[in-house]
This record gives sequence, structure tokens and C-alpha cells, in this order.
Amino acid sequence: MRRLGGYLFRYRWRYAAGVACLAAATALALGIPWTVKQAVDGLSRGQGGRVLAQHVGVILLLAAGHGMFRLASRLAMVGAGQGTEHDVRRDLYLHFEQLPPAFYHRHRTGDLMSRATSDVAAVRMLAGFGSVMLVGTVLTFGGSLVAMWLIDPQLTLATIAPFPLLIFLAKRFNHAVDRQSTAVQEQQGVLAAKVQENLAGMAVVRAYTMERAEIARFGQINREFLVRSARLARTQAGFTPLIGLITGIGTLIILWLGGRAVVEERITLGALVAFNGYLAHLAWPTIALGWMLASLRRGLAAMARIAEVLEAPPLAPAEAGSCGVPPAAPAGAAVEVRGLTFAHEAREPALRDVDVLIPAGSLVAVVGPTGGGKSTLGALIVRLFEPPRGSVFVDGVDVRAMPLRELRHLVAYVPQEPFLFSRSLRDNLGLAADAVGDGEVARAVAAAGLDRDVADLPQGLGTVLGERGITLSGGQRSRAALARALVADPRVLVLDDPFAAVDPDTECEILTRLQAARAGRTTVIITHRLRAAARADWVVTLAGGRVVEQGRHADLVGRGGLYARLWRLQQIEDELERSEP
Amino acid sequence: MSDRSPDEDLLVGRAYDARLMRRLWALVRPHRRLAYLSLALYPLVAGVELLQPWLLKVAIDDYILPGDWAGLGHMALAFLASLLVLYGLRAVQTYVMHLTGQRVMHDLRQSLFTHLQGMDAAFFDRHPVGRLMTRVLNDVEAVNEMFVSGAVVVVGDVILLLGVVVILLVMDWRLALVTFAVVPALAGAAGYFRVRARESYRRVRAHLARLNTSLQESLQGMVVIQLFAREEAEARRFAGLNHDLRAAQFRSTFFDASLYAAVEVIGSVALALLLWHGGGQVLAGALTFGALVAFIEYTGRFFLPIRDLGAKYTVMQAAMVSAERIFGLLDTAPASRGGAAPDRASRPVPAARAGEPPAVEFDRVWFAYEGDRWIVRDCSFRVAPGEHVALVGGTGEGKSTIARLMLRLYDVGRGHVRVDGMDVREWDLGALRRHVGLVPQEVFLFTGTVEDNLRLVRDGAVTHEEIARALATANADRLLEALPRGLAEEVRERGVNLSQGQRQLLAIARALIYNPRVLALDEATSSVDAEAEALIQAALARLLAGRTSLVIAHRLSTVQRADRILVVRHGRIRESGRHAELLAAGGVYARLCAVQCGPLGP
Repeated sequence: MRRLGGYLFRYRWRYAAGVACLAAATALALGIPWTVKQAVDGLSRGQGGRVLAQHVGVILLLAAGHGMFRLASRLAMVGAGQGTEHDVRRDLYLHFEQLPPAFYHRHRTGDLMSRATSDVAAVRMLAGFGSVMLVGTVLTFGGSLVAMWLIDPQLTLATIAPFPLLIFLAKRFNHAVDRQSTAVQEQQGVLAAKVQENLAGMAVVRAYTMERAEIARFGQINREFLVRSARLARTQAGFTPLIGLITGIGTLIILWLGGRAVVEERITLGALVAFNGYLAHLAWPTIALGWMLASLRRGLAAMARIAEVLEAPPLAPAEAGSCGVPPAAPAGAAVEVRGLTFAHEAREPALRDVDVLIPAGSLVAVVGPTGGGKSTLGALIVRLFEPPRGSVFVDGVDVRAMPLRELRHLVAYVPQEPFLFSRSLRDNLGLAADAVGDGEVARAVAAAGLDRDVADLPQGLGTVLGERGITLSGGQRSRAALARALVADPRVLVLDDPFAAVDPDTECEILTRLQAARAGRTTVIITHRLRAAARADWVVTLAGGRVVEQGRHADLVGRGGLYARLWRLQQIEDELERSEP
Repeated sequence: MSDRSPDEDLLVGRAYDARLMRRLWALVRPHRRLAYLSLALYPLVAGVELLQPWLLKVAIDDYILPGDWAGLGHMALAFLASLLVLYGLRAVQTYVMHLTGQRVMHDLRQSLFTHLQGMDAAFFDRHPVGRLMTRVLNDVEAVNEMFVSGAVVVVGDVILLLGVVVILLVMDWRLALVTFAVVPALAGAAGYFRVRARESYRRVRAHLARLNTSLQESLQGMVVIQLFAREEAEARRFAGLNHDLRAAQFRSTFFDASLYAAVEVIGSVALALLLWHGGGQVLAGALTFGALVAFIEYTGRFFLPIRDLGAKYTVMQAAMVSAERIFGLLDTAPASRGGAAPDRASRPVPAARAGEPPAVEFDRVWFAYEGDRWIVRDCSFRVAPGEHVALVGGTGEGKSTIARLMLRLYDVGRGHVRVDGMDVREWDLGALRRHVGLVPQEVFLFTGTVEDNLRLVRDGAVTHEEIARALATANADRLLEALPRGLAEEVRERGVNLSQGQRQLLAIARALIYNPRVLALDEATSSVDAEAEALIQAALARLLAGRTSLVIAHRLSTVQRADRILVVRHGRIRESGRHAELLAAGGVYARLCAVQCGPLGP
């Protein structure tokens, strides 16, 4: 609520101008029936010609003024609503960027999207059109009442006598519509879930020939949806024509009591006509009241959901200053892990007591069975998760003491799932740095073994990827992710299983190129294949979250432990590859 | 739906397409009585609506001005009656129209869903779930809008407009012509602003789609953005999209608000013209006061339909685009159906051959999911009736694909897959899948009770006894007792409220109930505790007993128990034989085993 107030306050002048315009528009609009009254009264007195023409002229002026002020008020207030939406969405996005990976594990993208789309739109409705409606109806209702009172207080009282009842009816209806449309939406959710589940589980549906049972189940849900929709339609059918009935009953009262007043010469015929004109202004607010209240409720609820995201704690409080580690230097930086024990939220520790020293400029392989903690170790070096203080050091500085920005300029991490944006390949590769030359990109592309693929793409580096472009194969994607990291020219490069989707020949070639392009950069390769490990200066074997063995490749093979066994498996694998026809 | 590309959102269709309308009419036909009733009510509604200003005129001219108080009472009663009748008629008509729309949507959703059940696996590979959901939900809803607020109501508007024109001309044709003088201005302004408003609204949608796509991508790739410290650049990018959207929205608001303002101004101009000319007439005695008032009232009823015509046109366009997509989906025939229709359960008679044909036979089978990236290459093997075969090999070697081909979830590229001696393409699909069952690696449970999940196999023809027996055989009865409501326990989304072990035992029970002659089973790799593992192994043994089975094996025990082991490599059978034989042969299997069966085990 206060948060929303803050957003609205930024547009206070626009709202003020909008309300002023709306007041002017309302006053001018209410002037029209009044002028009609004057004209009709003039007519009854037999005044024509000049007097009539004057009245007609006044009506035209009033109409033109009314149109302009109404337009201005809408633009001011609806525009402010759109501004509010824009600001809320901007702040959401900026906050999304600050949230840690753990947040994205907890919240599904769909849920976050709905907050950034439908909830933000609900806030706009409240801040924009909703506010116009609210102010507009209050002004119109009040203004019309005053005008009617001036004509004849007694008739006014008689005319508005049924209004409390009508407001009550409209509220009841609105309440019912609200409740029933919620029921319809819920059922729509059930229906959507069923379709989604059925499509996702199609293989099982087929394997167990459940098609007909599934159709029957969907039929049940679909029928219930129909029943609920029909119920809502019935209520709405009673509600929608209500506005006609309300104005009609007002006209009836005016016709009867007002007609009598004219007969008794208490009011003029012109007053009667004007009265009818004002009445039309009263009907709409009666109906719209419920709608406005509902939109207010929805808007506030949406703002509360948005606030939930905005209040989620960001990964690292912005740390000022620098830690003094140069982000780009000819030589690599050392990485040291000391007594690291780490558990993902409320789970068994993924790493226990890990001690690893990676000297600057060395190539280190981290190997071991799946679930052994390899990826977690890599992610902790770049602080995708927060390691305990004093356990991970880059270039001798605790990563927790380093501003994230600097750490990530220092260390490039290539995650297991290569994620590319649907932009041009060039834009994807240039993601790491603001201004990169074509030469650097070309070198990185070559080092990652992506050069031939690029040559095959229709527009080379300019080829757009993804949804509206070309889909790269899994191997191409992971090499593109590798190239992207190389463009950044970091001092430490951490690769998480970069060769999973790459065939062995390519793997060897990339390894060779990578080593050549390394130029003193510290490189950590996390892999379940051991070809890379054989070339590494140092090998760390992780299993069950502990360092089981570490040492040089040759020493570890000689030791006959887990690593030696993995190595023999790899050799058999290689032999099989070579023996393939 | 975010999966829809912005370009698809920009599609503009014609507001009226005879071919589509014919197909839509075919959907309305079953509910035509409702539709006719609704249409029949339109003239009545228009009639009563046109009666009211007339009553006003009579009241003023004949009773108020002459001062006939008693007669006015009668007029008031007549007016009240017309109000109530109009309310009733409108309520009934709105209800009937909405109901027709809802029923048609119900049928349309049902036929879409039913149609999807008949599509083959390749279709689902091509069409992402999100897009299909959009068809079944959003597009159907867009067609519904046509009933609720679109085309059908235009009929009512046109009747009303014609009525107003006729009455005005009859009352005073000169005054009527004065009123009509503003119509070109009205139509022009409405047309101009509506076209601009629609155009700008479409731009809003395109900008919104672009922004949402970008936002979704950012959320999915947030780690990458953070890793490369690209927050500021990405925020700038997003700010650009956000700003563009806001500008487009404002433009749209401008035209929309201008339209309403213009219509109100033109309405007032008409009022002024009426007063001016009509007032003169009144003074000259050519027109009564009442008639002037009635004229003003009629003119008001004349304006709204003209103003809203454009909005209805837009709704119609959207409905036509959606209808086109829906029918496009309904017209997509499954790429391969082969044999007889799947729901005709005609069990084929296997071709007579010398001796007993193999239960399953792969005869030089080639298969690729796309193009010529062969997953299965020249693969041949036979499984004798009652034989237990284990498929062994690394990930991505084609084991699961072989199982899928047995059920004809996909059609082979080359060669033949035969079950009971007959090519699967000649089998009735339903019969084939009753005969060959598949237990996938990931247990997929449906929302509903535990019992529903067991009962729904074989299209629900399952007795209580069968369920009880299967649960006992699958060792699942005791585990189920641990559930608070037993069989009636609700399975939440994909069975998240059940343990891994419970899910696997349920999958085994489900397969037991399904009771296929041939079973393809993809062993689960997920680890469970030792006790659950023992239960699962015992249950599996009972499930496999007495049927032909092909198990994609991940456990040594499974391999050792098998009658024969097939070593799959690059979509081909490299070795075949018993565990002991293969070990003795010293081939690929033997060497893999030698390493893998070390102290840590597989």
C-alpha cells in the first residue's frame, strides 16, 4: 500500500492536472442539459430565432470544451497509470537481476512472469483507468445531484429514493459475479493443468492406452467448466441489463412526478427534460461502483504479490570499493579452497572439508561420479552460491570480500547448461564485454572450435539464434558458451562439463586449441570424461562431497584407486570408439 | 501465452471468412435452437427499446402539456411495463447467447483434446506443449468472444439502427435528415480513430510480446547475465523495451480516448442541430414538444451502435484468426496411423508360419528422429516368447528408442519391427499397445487419487480385485498403508507427495494391472534406500515372470538374471549372449564389466 503510494506520488502533478481537467469536463458536460432547459423554456415562452441560436451556440461550445478536457484528463491519468506500470516493471527487472540463483530454483519462471505481467497490468488498471473512473464517477454523481437539486429539491429526492436499493442490488450482483468468475477461473486452471499434464505424459497415456479414459476425464472437467460458466452467464445476464432498468425507473419517476410538477406549474417543461438528462449521469456510477471496488482489490492484491518479489533479499549487498585484484592481467590468478563445507538450503552437505590449491596459470581437472559435488565446487568459486567466509580465495582474496562484479570479471564460469539468448551469435559472444573487437571474437571462436560452424551459418556471426532464428545443436551451443567465456579474457576460467555434447575428436581438438590460447590463464575443467584430465597439471577426484584423491594424472593412475578405475573405463570407451566401423 | 512469437500476434485476419464461418456454423448446429431463440429475441428487444421514447412523446404531448393527470398515471404504468419486459427480454437473450457460446466452446475444447489423443509422438516433438495449450485455451476463448460481444450482436445493432431510421423519418422526415447529417461525420471519426486505435493496439501487443519474451529469457538466463556481470547492459536493454511499450500504450490511449471524445462532441452537435431546427418547427407549430424530446432520445440510441461497430469488427478479426489456427490443428492428421483405427480393438491373427514366430523381431531397423541423424542403425535381433532380454549400453546409444519402436510410438525409417511375426504397422495400434507394455524410467503419475492412477489403464475397465491383487504382487500394499488415505490419497502434480520408492512400486502395480504379454521396461536409475530397493527388485521379478520382457538394465542383478544380454552401441547390437558367456568371450561387455563391477559397483 505504501509502496504503491510511493509510485503514484511520482506522478502527483499529472494526477492533479487530470483531476482538474476531469472537473472541468464534468462541469461543462453538466452545463449541456442546463442549456437545453433554457432553450426549451425559451421555446415554451415563444422565444425563437436569436435566443435559440444563442443556446445552440452555447451547447456547441460546451460540447467542444467538454471533449477537449475529457481527452486531456484521460491522457493525463491513464498516462500516469502507464508510467506507474513502467516504473514498477523496471524496478522488478532491476531486482530480478540482483536475486541469487537459489531464488530461481525456488520460484518457477511462470510464476515470476505472471507477477511481471498480469500483476503489473492490474496495478496499471488501478493507477490508470481505475483512477479516472473513480474520480470521474464521484464528480459526475455529485455534480448531477447539485444540478438536479437546483431545479427542484423535492423531485430530486423522489428520483434518488430508489438509488440505495439499486446500489445494494448492483453490489449484490457484483459480488456474485466476482465469486462466480473466480470459480470459473479456478476451473480454467484445473482444465489447463489437465491439458498440460496429458500432453506432458503423452507417452504414458499411449503406452497404457489411456486415451479414452483421459478423454472422459477431460470431459468431466470440461463439463464442470461449462456448468460454472453457464452459472456466471446467468448472473451476468441479470446484471448487464440492470443499467437500462435503473435509468428507466428514474425516467419513470420523472415522467410521473415531474410530469405532475409541470402540470401543477411547479417546474417548467425544460426543467423536466434537463432532469432526464442528469438522470442518465447518475445511473452509470451506480453500476460502476462494484467494478471499481473489485479493480481496487485486485490492484492492491497484485501490488502485494509484486512487493513479495521486491522484498526478496538480493544475493550480495552492494559492496563499495575494490579489493585491489586486477581483473585482467597477463597471468592467471591462483584459486584456493580451504576446509570448505557447503550444503544447499536444508540438505545434506554437497561438499565436506574440501581443500584444493590451484596455482596461478595451471590447468586443473575436477573429476568423479555424478552427484559427487563437482559442479557445486565450480559454482562456489564464482559465488553462484555463497560459500562460508574464509573458504574460497581467488588471488589470495576471500571471494566473499570481493564485489561480485570484480569477482566475475576475474573468473569466467561456463555452466553445464549452455544458455544462449535469442539474439545474434555476435551479440551472444560479446555479452561478456561492452566493446570487443572482431579480432578478439574471431580468436575466441577459433579457440572454442566454433569457427567451422560459424562459417556454415547463413549470416555467420550475425545469425540470429533461438526462437526467431536458428537452433544450434547441443555441441554447438556448448562451444558457443565456451567462446563467450573466452571473449571475456578472464584470469580464471571454470568450465563445467564443457564437452558433454561434443564428440571425442572435437573434444581433443578443442582441448589442444584451448591450451594454446590459454596464455597463462588458470583453467579449471569439471568433467566426467578423463581425456582432459590426462592433460591437466593437477587432478582432483571428488566423490560423495569429499576429495578422494588429488595429484598428477600419472601418479593417480599408478595409485589404483577410484581415478585409476575411471581411467580404465575411459580407455575402453576410447578403444570402442576407435574400433567402430 | 508467452510461447507465441510476436509475429504470430501480429497476424491480421479478415473479419469474415465464409469458409471458416461454415465450419463454425457446423459447431453451432447442435445448439441451433438456442441460437435461433437468441436471434428471434433481437427484433423484440429492439421493438420494446424503440417504444420507450414514443411513450415519452405521447406522455408529454397528450397528458403533461394538456394537464391530464389521470392519463399520465396510465402512461407511467405502460412505461413501467415496457421497462420490465425489456429487462426480462435482455436478460434472457444475453443468457441464451452466452450459453450458446459456452456450449460451442465446450464442444470445441473436447474435440481438440480428443484430436490430440490421436496424434503420434512425432507430432508432439514438433509442437511444443505451450503452443498446444494456447490452442485449447486461449484460441477457443477468442472464438467465444465472437458470441459474447462480437458479430452475432451486430445483427441486433443493425435491427435497432434501421428501426430508429424508419421511426425518425415517419415522425418528421426533414428533422430526421438534419439528424442524419452528422452520421457521415460520426462514421468518419469513428472509422478514423478506430483504425488508428486498432493499429496502435496491435503495436502494443507486439511490444508486449517482445518485452515478455525478453523478460522470460532473462529470467531463465539470469545466471549467465550475472556471471558475465551484464546486469547494467541488460537493464538498459530492458528499459528500452519497457519504454517502447509505454509509448505504444500511450499512443493507443490517445486514439481510444479521442474516439470517445469525438463521438460525444458529435452527439452534442446533433443535439444542438435538433434543438435549433426542431425548436423552430415547434414554434411554427409543425412539431410537438413531445416529438422533439422523443427525437433527442432516439438520436441517443442511434449513436452507440455506430460507435461500437469498429470494436466488434476487431473482435471478429481476432476470432477468425483463432478459428483458423484451431481448424488448422484439427485438420492435422496423425502422420502415421497405419493399419486399422486405434479404437477398433480387432485383435489380428498372426500370420501362419512354420513354428512359433518370435515375440519381438527387429529386422535391419534404421531410425532417426530427424533427418539422417540415425539413432538406430541396421539393428537386428529376435526375442523368443517368454524370453527375458536385457539391453545394456551407455546413454544415448539408442536403447530407449528401441523400446519406443516396439510400441510404434514412432515409425521406423527402414526395415521392420515385428511383434508376434507381424509388422507393427499392420497391427491395430490399440491392440499392439495392449500386447506390448512400456514402463518408462521416470514414473509419470497423473493428478487424481492413487486408485485413479491404477484404474485408468486399459481405459478404466479394471476391477477392485485386480487392483488389490496387483498391489499385493507389487509389494505396494504395505507402502500404501503408510499413506493417510490409502488408495484414496490424492496424487499431487506428478506425484511429488509420494516417495521415490512408492512411485516405483505404483508403476509396477500399474504395469501388472495392464498385464501386457510383452513388456519393455526402462529400469529406474534413481536411488532408493536398501529396504525399498529389495521390495522393488522382488516386485520386478514377479512382474517379469511369465512374460516376454526387454529390460533396459542399469543394475548388475538385472543383467545377471536375464536369459540374454544385448549390448547396444551406436544404435546397433554389438554383442549378444548370457552374462557368463559374454564375460568368457572377453568382448566389450566383459571389459566394461571388469571395470564397473569393482569395489564401488555400478
